[in-house]
Amino acid sequence: MNRGLVLKAVREVWPVTLGLGLALLAIEAVLAYVLPTFQQQFSQQIMQLQFAQTLIKALLGTDMGKGEPMGPEMITAIAWVHPVVLALVWAHAIVVCTRVPAGEVDRGTIDVLLGLPVSRWELFLSDTAVWLASGAVLMGAALAGNLYGASRVTGSSTPGLGRLVIALADLFCLYLAVGGLAWLMSALSDRKGRAMAAVFILVVGSFLLNYLAQFWRPAERLAFLGVLNYYRPLFVLRDGAWPLRDMAVLGGVGAALWLAAGIVFARRDLCTV
Amino acid sequence: MIVVQSLTRRYGRRRGIEDVSFSVPEGSLFGFLGPNGAGKTTTIRVMLGFLRPSAGGATIFGHDCWRRSRRVKTEVGYVPGDLRLPPWFTGAGALRIVGAVRGQDLTRPGRDLAEQFGMDMRVKVRNMSRGMRQKLGLIIALAPRARLLILDEPTTGLDPLMQEQFRRHLKALSGAGHTIFFSSHTLGEVEVLCDRVAIVRDGRLVADDTLEALRRQAGHEVMIRWKDAGAGATVQPPAFLSLRQRDGATWHGALDGPVGPLADWLAGKPIEDLAVGRPDLESLFRRYYQQKGGDG
Repeated sequence: MNRGLVLKAVREVWPVTLGLGLALLAIEAVLAYVLPTFQQQFSQQIMQLQFAQTLIKALLGTDMGKGEPMGPEMITAIAWVHPVVLALVWAHAIVVCTRVPAGEVDRGTIDVLLGLPVSRWELFLSDTAVWLASGAVLMGAALAGNLYGASRVTGSSTPGLGRLVIALADLFCLYLAVGGLAWLMSALSDRKGRAMAAVFILVVGSFLLNYLAQFWRPAERLAFLGVLNYYRPLFVLRDGAWPLRDMAVLGGVGAALWLAAGIVFARRDLCTV
Repeated sequence: MIVVQSLTRRYGRRRGIEDVSFSVPEGSLFGFLGPNGAGKTTTIRVMLGFLRPSAGGATIFGHDCWRRSRRVKTEVGYVPGDLRLPPWFTGAGALRIVGAVRGQDLTRPGRDLAEQFGMDMRVKVRNMSRGMRQKLGLIIALAPRARLLILDEPTTGLDPLMQEQFRRHLKALSGAGHTIFFSSHTLGEVEVLCDRVAIVRDGRLVADDTLEALRRQAGHEVMIRWKDAGAGATVQPPAFLSLRQRDGATWHGALDGPVGPLADWLAGKPIEDLAVGRPDLESLFRRYYQQKGGDG
């Protein structure tokens, strides 16, 4: 790692981290407040909509009893699997992890950067450190928003902080998996837009696969390929157990993709013209 | 200091550089000349470890440019041909970050250079003109006072006064023992600056020598003005004089060999004026390209 490269990466990453962090904080606060407050009405209305039921089932990774109202854990878990929350977390991973090398090559600044006495691995590791730290900040913002929203709800039983932290760790592993994919796409590309689009398509594909798997048998067989198959905060919030297998899969996939990205970046040609 | 040996770099079917060899001794001011697309930037990108050679290789300070790129760059200052900087950089901020990357405090040398080049270090890159961005690129490359400077068309966007200032700075650095690798397609600046020149054309090196030796090889430039246009039209030039332009009473051409035979041939002929001189780099360059069948 190199201090100067870390300084540069921090300067470039903080605006997007601040923006998405505030958005995540706000949406988590709203969800953590609104969902338990209007639990009864929400639960009844959702039960009428087949599409919404399937979507929530897909996101939560569990079946809901027909006609049964949703319990407090299920309501709380929605705040952690809501598509807007996932979109914000993924957006941060995609934007930050496609900066090097695709973003730098794309804007032509890689020449000045790698004209300095640094190795490509140093650049890669420095940016990775900033990515991980900014991801942790993002998770912190989500937790803070969730706790704040929940604190405004009167007479509601919410899962303890310990369970929320485990759910958050699971979300961080999901973030790592998407980030690892973004690093690899970035290492393979000279255009940030293309790298971002490729990750976006794969992530949306994973989301759709998870949704289709609820009612389409061929998709069900392939569901293990989707990242959301390994992110099920409902079980964490309900049981309080660490989802070690899921976290290992997500973290392992993220680490493998990240390592592949580093190797590709270290060996590839860099051409801005 | 720089040794490039049989260096070849291809981009798939596209030509890059082919079998390029040259060496740059320590302390020299080396001009690397060629038109756009000739392969100058490709050569530099291999030297800085951005591109892996397809064949051959390059070493700087005895270190392989691909495998030990980081080591090589500790003693190199580099200005890319198409200089781009992060839009949020200010001059001062850029020096802080580059200084932190290099583990050097560049504030003072950077401030001195900024003063010398008339650069406001508080302006953000996004608000800078092309010339200001180029100045900042030069300051970033020069401030660490690296042993070797690799400059890819560094005067692009600079006004003539600034170009002159920059040339003086380079000469002073060269005088202090720094080595300068100066890539350019602008012949005039290489001519006034460099002591040794390599010319690259269509990805191949076509010349590598001192400026004086290249001029000697190229023979003399000759201008003959006849007393009347009729003489200019009817007289047949001798074999040792290749005419480039025959414009009424005036001939322009190149002399192959010594001046004596030309003087003998002209004796008694109705000439009004005669000029014989060493070619400037521009005509030398043009001749290299014409001789080799280049498209210039």
